[in-house]
Amino acid sequence: MDHIVRTFGDRPGRACVRASCLVIFFCLIPALLKAQTPDPVPEMERPVPILTGNAGFFTNVNGGETELVPSITPVLLLPLGDRWLVESRAEFKGEFERGGGTGPYGGKVEQEIDYLQLDYIANRYLTVTAGRFLTPFGIYNERLYPIWIRSLQPTPLIFPLGTGSSDGVMLRGGFSLNPKVNLNYATYFSTLSTMNKFEADRLAGGRVGFFLPGPRIEAGVSFQKELQEERANAFGFHFAWQPAAVPLNLRAEYSRSHDGSGYWIEAAYRLSQVPFWQKALRRTEIVGRGQQLFAGEIDEDEAEEYGLPDVNTRQGDFGLNYYIQDGLKASASYSRRFNSDGNVNIWTVGLAYRFALPLGRVGPQ
Amino acid sequence: MNIRVTILTAVLALASSAYAADPPRKSENDSASIGTPVARSSGEADAMRVQGEQRFRANCGRCHAAPHKFPPRMMATIVRHMRVRATITDEDMRLVLFYMTQ
Ligand code: HEC
Repeated sequence: MDHIVRTFGDRPGRACVRASCLVIFFCLIPALLKAQTPDPVPEMERPVPILTGNAGFFTNVNGGETELVPSITPVLLLPLGDRWLVESRAEFKGEFERGGGTGPYGGKVEQEIDYLQLDYIANRYLTVTAGRFLTPFGIYNERLYPIWIRSLQPTPLIFPLGTGSSDGVMLRGGFSLNPKVNLNYATYFSTLSTMNKFEADRLAGGRVGFFLPGPRIEAGVSFQKELQEERANAFGFHFAWQPAAVPLNLRAEYSRSHDGSGYWIEAAYRLSQVPFWQKALRRTEIVGRGQQLFAGEIDEDEAEEYGLPDVNTRQGDFGLNYYIQDGLKASASYSRRFNSDGNVNIWTVGLAYRFALPLGRVGPQ
Repeated sequence: MNIRVTILTAVLALASSAYAADPPRKSENDSASIGTPVARSSGEADAMRVQGEQRFRANCGRCHAAPHKFPPRMMATIVRHMRVRATITDEDMRLVLFYMTQ
């Protein structure tokens, strides 16, 4: 290590980054070696690296202002041996508005690294993750956030509470307690980081959920403790139900933190059981969501930075999704937001596409 | 920065030594790896397919629209990803993988 630091000269920040890259590389060697050794899994079933992710184009009208939002979110999956996975997601999102209301569209392109993590599947109860990962608080960020998945394009009002990305270590897993109940959990520690694109807070927390595969119900709780500044606690509750008899998806979340509290409840209904216009209606989904946010001890600038309203807010959202083919959907939504800053209408319309390309030979299907 | 490097190093070193010291698999059930289970007879294969379809229906449409089949080598990567992301159980993943690669 001494040698490494000396080699990289007198720039300690950089030396540290390079040293950690080297350390990661050396730590990966056993895995890489093992990945090379003959494997009992036949060649045609061995996992192949994949480039997946999504691309989309949406037009949003927010309180009368039109915004064009093209985005591309590549996800790289690199399996190593039979227990490791390197996974990463970057997000590039344009937000283009008309200058002065009539000029040409212009604006910035946001770039984020949502996660860059190494997963080790230790056994049937435990997976160890290190690196940058989505903070497992509630369900929206980890499960519903990608534009090809979310039923309504506007994110919930409480979305910024408790979640985002963390840099550190996470232990997680899911297993059945008995044939009727599965338990899933995630617990993590994140360190403070101000490094560009790798910003994170110093926190610790966890989430526990119970899933009943029979009735397809999941309920769970999340908690989090900030280990900096106010050392505030956050708490969350989530619920999801997909009744087997009807093509309905019911989901709800509640979160409470120093910055605010609130909930959303969403119902998405696929019109596949409607007896007429079957061809079109079985691909159509209607969505409704009700939500409320109670502003916390947070000033205007902080609220703006986190993307949270700084006054109590209520919102109703309605959406329509049309599933054109696997991974491709057209979406439209209308939301009405009520608060003391003035009520506004929010419209969105656009397309979202999920792609998945193998980075290697896959042979015949 | 230093604390971060140390923590990351410790975790990686631990994980990689655990990996290197990984004992040989005792039985299908003990193994954490995600391989397609092997059916010993065609009756067993049918039963696994039915089970696999059930697990697919219960799990794979919960967060997003249930996807179509991909080639087996892609499916193997996808189920590993979903196992970690969606904390789906080892058994569910094996049966889903069997069903999705038949
Ligand atoms: C708990 C929620 C959840 C469940 C359950 C779930 N998925 Fe996913 N799935 C996701 C999310 C979130 C992504 C997007 C990952 C990203 O973009 O970071 C995804 C992505 C995918 C993709 C795109 C390729 C990839 O790996 O990213 C495929 C294919 C997929 N899932 C298949 C499945 C299958 C098959 C199952 C059942 C075994 C399943 N999913 C169960 C949440 C889930």
